[in-house]
Amino acid sequence: MIGTIVKKEISANLLSYKFFVVILLASVLIFTSLFVMARDYKARLADYQINKPAVGDATAVLPPNPLSILAKGLDESMARSIGVNVTGFDVQSGQKSGNVVYAFFPAPDFVYVVKLVMSLVALLFGFDQISREKENGTLKLMLANSVSRASLMAGKWIGNYLSLAVPFTLVTLLGIALIGLDPAIRLSAGHLGRLALLMALSLVYIALFLSLGLLVSALTQRSASSLVVLLFLWAGLVFILPNLGTLLARQIVTVPSTKALSEKRQQIWTSEILMVYSKNGEWNGQAWNERRISMNREFDRLEEDYRRQAARLVRLSKTINRISPAAGFIYAATDIAGTGIGEDNRLKQDIIRYKNQILADLIGEKRPYPAFRYQYRPMGQVLAEGALIDIAWLLAAVILVFGAGASVLKRYDVR
Amino acid sequence: MFRTLVLKEIHNHILSFRFVVTSLLLLIVVPATVLVLTNDYVRQLDDYSRRQVEIERYLERYAHFNRLGNIVQPTQPPVPFMTLIRGLSADVDMSAFDNDPLPVVFPLLDLTFIVAILFSLAALVFTYDSVSGEREDGTLKLMLANGLPRAKILLGKIVGGMATLLIPFLISTAVGLFIILLNPRVDWKGADFGALGGIFLGIVVYLGLFTALGTLISTRHRSSASSIMTSLFVWVLAVLVVPNLSPYAASFLRPAPSSTKVNREVFRLTQDERDVLGRRLSGEKTAAVLKDHPVLAGIERMSEKDIKNTMMKDPLFAKAYSVYRKAGQEGWDEANAMQSAKAKVLQDDLDRKEKAQTGLAILLSMASPLADFTYLATDLSNTGMRNQRQFRALSGGWNQAYWKYSERRMDELKKANPTADVWNIAADVHDMPRFAYKEEDLAGRLKGTLPAFAVLAGLALAAFWGAYFSFRGYDAR
Repeated sequence: MIGTIVKKEISANLLSYKFFVVILLASVLIFTSLFVMARDYKARLADYQINKPAVGDATAVLPPNPLSILAKGLDESMARSIGVNVTGFDVQSGQKSGNVVYAFFPAPDFVYVVKLVMSLVALLFGFDQISREKENGTLKLMLANSVSRASLMAGKWIGNYLSLAVPFTLVTLLGIALIGLDPAIRLSAGHLGRLALLMALSLVYIALFLSLGLLVSALTQRSASSLVVLLFLWAGLVFILPNLGTLLARQIVTVPSTKALSEKRQQIWTSEILMVYSKNGEWNGQAWNERRISMNREFDRLEEDYRRQAARLVRLSKTINRISPAAGFIYAATDIAGTGIGEDNRLKQDIIRYKNQILADLIGEKRPYPAFRYQYRPMGQVLAEGALIDIAWLLAAVILVFGAGASVLKRYDVR
Repeated sequence: MFRTLVLKEIHNHILSFRFVVTSLLLLIVVPATVLVLTNDYVRQLDDYSRRQVEIERYLERYAHFNRLGNIVQPTQPPVPFMTLIRGLSADVDMSAFDNDPLPVVFPLLDLTFIVAILFSLAALVFTYDSVSGEREDGTLKLMLANGLPRAKILLGKIVGGMATLLIPFLISTAVGLFIILLNPRVDWKGADFGALGGIFLGIVVYLGLFTALGTLISTRHRSSASSIMTSLFVWVLAVLVVPNLSPYAASFLRPAPSSTKVNREVFRLTQDERDVLGRRLSGEKTAAVLKDHPVLAGIERMSEKDIKNTMMKDPLFAKAYSVYRKAGQEGWDEANAMQSAKAKVLQDDLDRKEKAQTGLAILLSMASPLADFTYLATDLSNTGMRNQRQFRALSGGWNQAYWKYSERRMDELKKANPTADVWNIAADVHDMPRFAYKEEDLAGRLKGTLPAFAVLAGLALAAFWGAYFSFRGYDAR
């Protein structure tokens, strides 16, 4: 029986205006996004070839991550060229384009399209499933047959999910295959595994919004009101909650601005230099080397303090933001791609460790310095350090919302 | 009659479920956002004044000209409008190692965002069925049977829809303003209220545009179910896609060289290549001098000390040597001039192309009402591109004043103590010019936002005319 309902849903969808509009929109957006972000990646790769440190330089530069084509996340910040010296880091921010318009609007990557557009599309597939059938009078007819309400819900869910997920998967796979043909973009087996996981995550995220659509549809008597509820719910979950959560966390945890930190560092330098000079009126190289070591310790203490607070802020806003599935999706997706907050944090810690490792060499100017190497966290660790929680929470939400939808439909007045 | 039509629309909407939801959402989100932004602004204000005090403290005790420039870099203080609008001030600082990753992942919520995204969506939700829905209900026929002109019905629908949406918005913003003005730390001036007026005008036009657009789409469809699909399709493109794609499209259409590449090339031209050229040119010139002045024979092998001694003894040598030195310096100057000219060509080319690209990106994005409104609101609130330019101009002026001051002070220090290393001794700099940020005046801001405003108004008019012509031919059966 479920099979029949699934088939009916799919054929009804295939013939509808909605299906046409939605699939057209999704395909165009996914292709454009992949194309545009692939170009952006290649430009950054070319910059990396120029910035690549010479042998013996104490500079930490990561090549851009090819998965940033799908989930840009923090990759631009992670792929900065960071020179390491005794008293801190010399960040080359010149890689950023002079085009200020980039700063106004977020990057339209695949994750952005899924987070905003695919979730909206999934809602549009679900919003009128029950209420529209009621309005048309077909719900009565359907239930007059010997079909349970649970299997009706399941059939509707599966039918609509398939008609949404199959074209979405095909379009995305085709897009990724086209990108993969580009010789400049090298995807390793590990990358492909991560891509598969990212794809699966996107499908779970879409499933959540479809279930939400069905639930609200079963809760309302008219499809028009179901749509209104869903659109505002969507706006709240996708736009308001994650962004407000970040601001809210800032109310609770006070973090000094990075500007204050860098100014403090300049001030300490200045006083130290004056002091080394004024001791005997002349530059004292020996005293300077000693001061540089103590300055390094002082800077580390300052930064450690800052980093501890910043880490608290990030943890808190992550926790608050998880109320919204869109935030959970973004966290998990960027973590899987290796462009997320966790990876960025790891990279920064590694660069600090690298600096301390070669500190003696730096003070003695004993070139060549050992090169900086970074290994992205393996998938297992990514999952263990947070991504699994996000994925599990999304899956649990899908089951919960679907269950709620099915139980609401049990009591639905079909007249 | 027109009044009746508008009132009917307002009544219809106010009793509707979507009005309740929209009002609730606005009444919760706007005050909450303002509250959080105001607190954040006060924090930034504290941070800023703490930093300024710290800088003054350092200047008092450790100022010396070697490092003075590193201490007194101009910084942008928080502007009072940041309690409502964040604009570019929320952009991530990529120049610090410890940069904050959160705003990259989730951009901050502010009034621009609420209006640009939520309000436009609400306008479409209010109007997608204004014509097609009435046709389905059969009320459109009845209305037309009364001999009402279609233009009036349409205008009534649009005005009624706008008025209904503006009511909850005005209430929620009034609550927000109340929160701002009650905070003793926030000092809004007359110009800020003027700018707020301009932004409100922008909001009304933005709202009018989406209301007219929703009505236009409604008149193109027979059923409200398909008109909502088209509405959302258009909304996604105009609000979520076009602005975000525009800088990428501009970089494709008007490519600019990578600044990393140009910087590297400039470095090569003005350092490595300059050294080679300088050595060659000064070699050629000094060789000519050597040929004309036999007294200088063997000068390349003489030490500084020998040269000094010989100059004391032999005035002819001293004269020839100064010609020789001058020739050498000329060679280096020439090399420097040649290489900087080459570097300047590259730099100018980059600047020009980046400027052209940015211009195109702005132009392309202005096809999207969201981008128009964003530019309008951020520029009027001094958190946008105009403010960036203003800040850069002020910094430039301050830099010049600072250099003039430091030259004068160092001369004074030298006079007081001729043997001292004036770069590295403590200096009293209490009279140094301090960087003072000044907001651009309201008239300039208003003038600067005219193009964005004009595009927005033009789009609104086009949508309205489109709706009118489409409705004239609408089959009401």
